[in-house]
This record gives sequence, C-alpha cells and structure tokens, in this order.
Amino acid sequence: MINKIIENKNKIMIAISLIAIGSIIRILFHSDLPAFKSAFITINGVTQPMFILDLFFIVAIFSIISGLVLGGYYAFIVPISIMIITDIAIGNNWILLFTWSGFAILGLVGFLLKSKRNLTYKNIPTFLGVGIVGILIYDLWTNFGTWLGGFGYAPNFTGLTQCYTMAIPFMLWHLLSTTIGLSIVLTTVIYIKEHRLKLPEVKETPFQNQMTYAIPIVLVLLALLSVLV
Amino acid sequence: MIQNTKNKLFVSLKIIIPLITVICLFLVGVNVGVITFEPPEKKSQGEISAQIEIKVDNQIIFSRELKLINATVLDFLLELEKLGDITITKTYWEQFESYVIDSITYKDKEYIADINHYWSYYINDESGLVGADQQIVKNNDKITWNYEEF
Repeated sequence: MINKIIENKNKIMIAISLIAIGSIIRILFHSDLPAFKSAFITINGVTQPMFILDLFFIVAIFSIISGLVLGGYYAFIVPISIMIITDIAIGNNWILLFTWSGFAILGLVGFLLKSKRNLTYKNIPTFLGVGIVGILIYDLWTNFGTWLGGFGYAPNFTGLTQCYTMAIPFMLWHLLSTTIGLSIVLTTVIYIKEHRLKLPEVKETPFQNQMTYAIPIVLVLLALLSVLV
Repeated sequence: MIQNTKNKLFVSLKIIIPLITVICLFLVGVNVGVITFEPPEKKSQGEISAQIEIKVDNQIIFSRELKLINATVLDFLLELEKLGDITITKTYWEQFESYVIDSITYKDKEYIADINHYWSYYINDESGLVGADQQIVKNNDKITWNYEEF
C-alpha cells in the first residue's frame, strides 16, 4: 500500500516537473526563435527556408516520454496540460483541438511503445523510428486541420497540396529537432534507469488503458466536429 | 561474445542506415536543385501598376490603383498608408523572416488580427504563399487584403 502511494507520488512529481519545464520553455522562448537562412528548399515552385524553427519538439518529446515512462492517464495529461497552460499565456484559436489531439496521439505512441518494448539502449532505434512516424502523423493531422479550417487555402485538392507544401519547412524541423532531442532524452532516461535510480513502473488498470486510447480519439473527433460546427 | 558483438552491430546499423539515407537524400536534393544555399532572387520588375483592394467580410471596403517601382505586396500596403488612405500595424516574425499584419485601420475603424481574425493577402485571387514582404508584385496584378475569420 505504502509502496503504491510512493510510486504514485513519484509519477505525479515527474508529471508535474515535465508540465512545468515544458510550459516554462514554451512560454519563454516561443517568440525568440531565429530564422534559418543557410539552406532553402523549392517544392511545387515555392522556395522556402529549409527549416522554420518552432518549439514543437519540446512538447513532442515530453508527450512521448510521458507515455513511455509514466504511461496511463499521464500519456495525455502531460502534453495537454502543457498546451493548455501555454496556450492561455501565448494565445491560440480553434486549431488548438488539432494540436492538442496531435500531442495526445504522440503520448499514445509513447505508451504503445512502452507496452511493446523495454526501455533499453538496444530499443532506441525502434523508439526513434516510431517517434518519427508519430511526428509525421501529427504534421499530417494538424495541417489537415489548417486546410479544413480555411486559413487562406482553397477548399479543394490544390489547396490541400498547397497547405502541405507550405508546411514542409515546419515538418523537416520537427523531424530533425525531435529526433535529436528524443535521442538525448531517451539516452539519459535509460542511463538513469540502468543505474538503478528508481523510475515508476507502469501498471495501468484496464480502465486507465481504455482511457489512454479513448482520450486521443475523442480529441480527434472533437477537432473534426469543431470544423463542421 | 560473438553474439553480443553481432547484436551491437545490428543496433548500430539501425541508426547508421537511416542516417546515411538522410544524408543521401540531402545530397540528391542539392544535386537536382531542390535544396539551395542562396535565398531566392528578387528580380527587378521596374515600374509596376497594380490594383490593391481591402476586403472585410468578403466586401470590398477600399480599392485603388497604384504605381510603384520594384515593390512587394507589403510595399503596396505601406504606400497606401503613406498616401493617408489607411493606417497599419505590423510585427516582424524572425523565424518566418516576414512581417505579419496586426491591424488595418480604415475610416477610423480598426480591423485587428486577434484570436478569431487574421489578415491574409491574395494575388490575382490566389492565396499568398510567402510573407507579404517577400512577394514581388508583377505588372497588372490584383492584390487583395482580406480580413478573415479563423
């Protein structure tokens, strides 16, 4: 009983730390990102900087890590809390349902990985590979929302292609920054774990498991519904 | 021992192969000209004439024809401000290397880009693909600034 309370307390402390660090970084640095002027990419006749820098990777890494290390409700509580706190401070519009559900999906990706693979060095390439797929899903999903909501794009296939073309510098940056960041964070977490510093074990109840799947799905449906309404 | 080395090699290959693939894709992109290291050239257009209109709720509230030399979409908007037709506020976003229009005031009414609205431009009814200060205007183009809802 006491062990369980301590374990839950550890989980809550780690979750609060992740939420606090993620929120502080996003609020402090969201408007101070430099422009990338070293390389340009031309696709569909549009030349853009190869990368457009944003702080997606911070929330993405924390989402995946919360799913991987904490599991259960924390897989979506951590990313959504960071987004709620920072969106209140920075501001957002109805697209938030797409971004929030996107991050909840990333948390779910982390949780699914944890249930399939152990947190060891030899599984890092698998974690990174699945993480990359998660990032691609996030970008496809949120930019689909951007197109669906108008935002200056024509409501046809050309508009959708244009929207995805304009999103390429963001996507390339998301892939690069999150892969590098996730490698560093995963290596650190595994080092801590292998050196016998106690990390909470993931033991979810069936209800918690169902909720971990249900919340991202509900958010995705809400996002689609918000566009229709 | 041999099995352990094999496992380590296998894990290393899982990292090395994707890295080499990314590097190869980058080099191919550079080779075919998709990836470049120089910003896009802004070619001189000389004196250009363009129609500029401002729309709110899909209604044209202002329209004028202007002539400028080698100008961008933003230059045309700034020219309207110089002429006293409108007042604008704008913010430079470093990561986009571009200006974003925060508000346009016309006839004492300020249309502010807020949580529900934003200013977007169109060239010949096609949505702008780059920042307004990056988009060069061609002769006889029609520039539309539209106050849109999220």
